[in-house]
Amino acid sequence: MIVCIAVVGHQNNPLYIQSFTEADDALKLHHIVHCSLDVVDERVNNPKKSGPMLNETFLGLLYPTENYKVYGYLTNTKVKFILVTTDLDVRDADVRNFFRRFHSAYLDAVSNPFHVPGKKITSKTFAERVTNIVKSVSFHTTG
Amino acid sequence: MVREVSESCMDSLLTEIVSSYCNRFYVNKPELAARRIEAIGYQVGHQLTERYTIERPRFSDHLEAIKFICKDFWSELFKKQIDNLKTNHRVSFRPQILQLEVAIQTFWLLQGTFVLQDNKFRWLSHMSVDPSVDISGAGQEPFAMSENKSAQATSMHLYFPCGIIRGALSTLGIPCAVSADTSNLPACSFVIRIKV
Repeated sequence: MIVCIAVVGHQNNPLYIQSFTEADDALKLHHIVHCSLDVVDERVNNPKKSGPMLNETFLGLLYPTENYKVYGYLTNTKVKFILVTTDLDVRDADVRNFFRRFHSAYLDAVSNPFHVPGKKITSKTFAERVTNIVKSVSFHTTG
Repeated sequence: MVREVSESCMDSLLTEIVSSYCNRFYVNKPELAARRIEAIGYQVGHQLTERYTIERPRFSDHLEAIKFICKDFWSELFKKQIDNLKTNHRVSFRPQILQLEVAIQTFWLLQGTFVLQDNKFRWLSHMSVDPSVDISGAGQEPFAMSENKSAQATSMHLYFPCGIIRGALSTLGIPCAVSADTSNLPACSFVIRIKV
């Protein structure tokens, strides 16, 4: 189950954070997102020896905590998407698919002429689209 | 679903932007009008870059980003690519710096300047300059004046594309300054100076 999705800008400024749990550990989720930014920076600045991974947008599993898994995605414009999920058995292709749909929703939100680049995304349409994507994407693999 | 806009609408809109900002909003303050138009271009460039880089892998260096602007970005906007790209971009190195003047000069050369030349800039291709100049005066003067007027008229129309290029590069993480040069219409050169 996807617990939290966040969009972080070029200077690590938060552009959009939404959590999908009823519990009020929103602060803990924010903290997890914040820590994952360091991992993203480290991944990008110290590339591993594997050549083909160097310039991909999908960064893969950033780090697993005791309950959550955190996935990262870095666009060409240095905007980072962070996904926190509680599913233990997640297929790579599913996460990529999710990020692709999320990227196009983000794109439409940014193309809004009333959106100021660098400020938080306040569009209700974007929030609805994200909720729909999260609902429709299911990570449960066949047991 | 791809939505389309008629090109004459685009041309009319661009002409009207320049006309409104110069003749109505910021009358007698052409620098302010230019800056506002450039700022609009900046935001448009930012949004367009987000859209056009969606499926691409990240760029590894400045040259890749500039090539993206010259080929894909320009084709999306103007249906053609940049005709000529010149650069004095060099790999950064630290020479022995003896005097301050030498240091400043070397620093400037190392900053990286790119010149993008478009031989038939689409947004200026329908522009003509009024040749009705009074030739009753001394020989050389009127020609210089008419050239000056035409340069001034077309330069206002170039702030928007300059802003678009600057917005696109800044969004890709490359702060820069962009200026345009129209010594011979309809060809147009954009000079990009990358800030270190």
